[in-house]
Amino acid sequence: MLRLRSRDFDDDATLMMAIVNRTPDSFYDKGATWAEDAAFERVALVAGQGAEIVDIGGIKAAPGVEISEAEEKARVVDFVARVRDAFPDLVISVDTWRASVGDAVCEVGADVLNDAWGGADPELVDVAALHGAALVCTHTGGVQVRTRPHRIEYDDVVAAAIADTTAYAERALAAGVAAESLVIDPAHDFGKNTFHSLEVTRRLGEMVATGWPVLVSLSNKDFVGESLDLPVGERLTGTLAATAVCALAGARVYRVHEVVETRQVVDMVRTIAGLRPPARAIRGLA
Amino acid sequence: MRIVVAPPAPALLPAYASLVDPVPRLRAATRAAVDWLGPSVKVLADDLDDQRVAESLLGRRSDLDGHDLLVMANGSARRSEKAPGHLDPRAAGYDEWLRQLLRLGDLEGLASLDVDEGEDLLAAGLRSLAVTARQLADRGVTVRDVQVDHDDCPYGVQYWVVRWQCGS
Repeated sequence: MLRLRSRDFDDDATLMMAIVNRTPDSFYDKGATWAEDAAFERVALVAGQGAEIVDIGGIKAAPGVEISEAEEKARVVDFVARVRDAFPDLVISVDTWRASVGDAVCEVGADVLNDAWGGADPELVDVAALHGAALVCTHTGGVQVRTRPHRIEYDDVVAAAIADTTAYAERALAAGVAAESLVIDPAHDFGKNTFHSLEVTRRLGEMVATGWPVLVSLSNKDFVGESLDLPVGERLTGTLAATAVCALAGARVYRVHEVVETRQVVDMVRTIAGLRPPARAIRGLA
Repeated sequence: MRIVVAPPAPALLPAYASLVDPVPRLRAATRAAVDWLGPSVKVLADDLDDQRVAESLLGRRSDLDGHDLLVMANGSARRSEKAPGHLDPRAAGYDEWLRQLLRLGDLEGLASLDVDEGEDLLAAGLRSLAVTARQLADRGVTVRDVQVDHDDCPYGVQYWVVRWQCGS
């Protein structure tokens, strides 16, 4: 069972985590949902599309203008409260590495803390434990928050991702986060060049074999763009191909911009794999 | 003696289950009719695939000396252009005739079925149906009461689920 604070999911459930940026400068939407009402409309849209989780972020991942804790809270806390009120059954994740922000959003109803920066703030695990929230434990290769990878090398990137994410999960467990509320994420592109992200994709089954539920965040990222020589905005097909590989390997949570397309790919792959029945099959059976 | 006639549609098999059942009314009708049969049931089917559907519905193997009968048969699979066998203009007439025989429990009529034409029309289980009807008629069995639980042609295949209460 996967417990995301207010909601429980069976072990065979796959979950769509829709990205909702309360940022003016994220790489994909470039501020399209910077205005609170636009972000709220995005939540309504993805909830209607069947996303089980929204992942609300107040700071873009890439380097840029310093965003203070106060500013990050201003961007996300009241918004989380508004979403919680309007969508009581929707799982709310907040993309933050800061314990103080995590505490504030959990106070108003967030269910998941998605720490894209691999435990940069050591107190985040305590906040998750305090609120009974779930925690996403990512691998960044030890890079600083909001930095791009530069000449990072690993002896074995998958082994490093497994070692770091499971160590983070064990640390969270020791802090009191429930085992069923911990998810690991190899974090494509974070602390990784494209070859690293491709290898993590190719060998995702090794992460799944740890037994921790695996989240993948592939959507429109640079490793897709560099693989196909395509700019942001033209990476959906490549994203979905990577999604299919991860679905076949057993990824459980998919952090996405495009909910409908990703859901179809994941469902189709799992149906091919015999893990999900067809929606409605009568051909040759009537 | 109780007899049920039901279609050997593979869609009824658990191995072919979908998230949304494409034949919910057929499944419900078949289940109710099979439940109406007694504990000892002999399956009459034209081939092993049809037998498999029957035994899946029963939840047990056919009893060769069974008191009640489960006959696996259906009408034409050529009832529409989207049907498995495409549209055959003869199909509706053939099925109408078969419908009347089943509704009446007309064992003599069923024993005299034109099985070859039926097979041409992709009807199923007609040999079992005709042989069973002949054997029952020869033993002096009559159908005293008929209940049609299901009569539909949802995918270009004519389904019936019929219960016969027999006597002699």
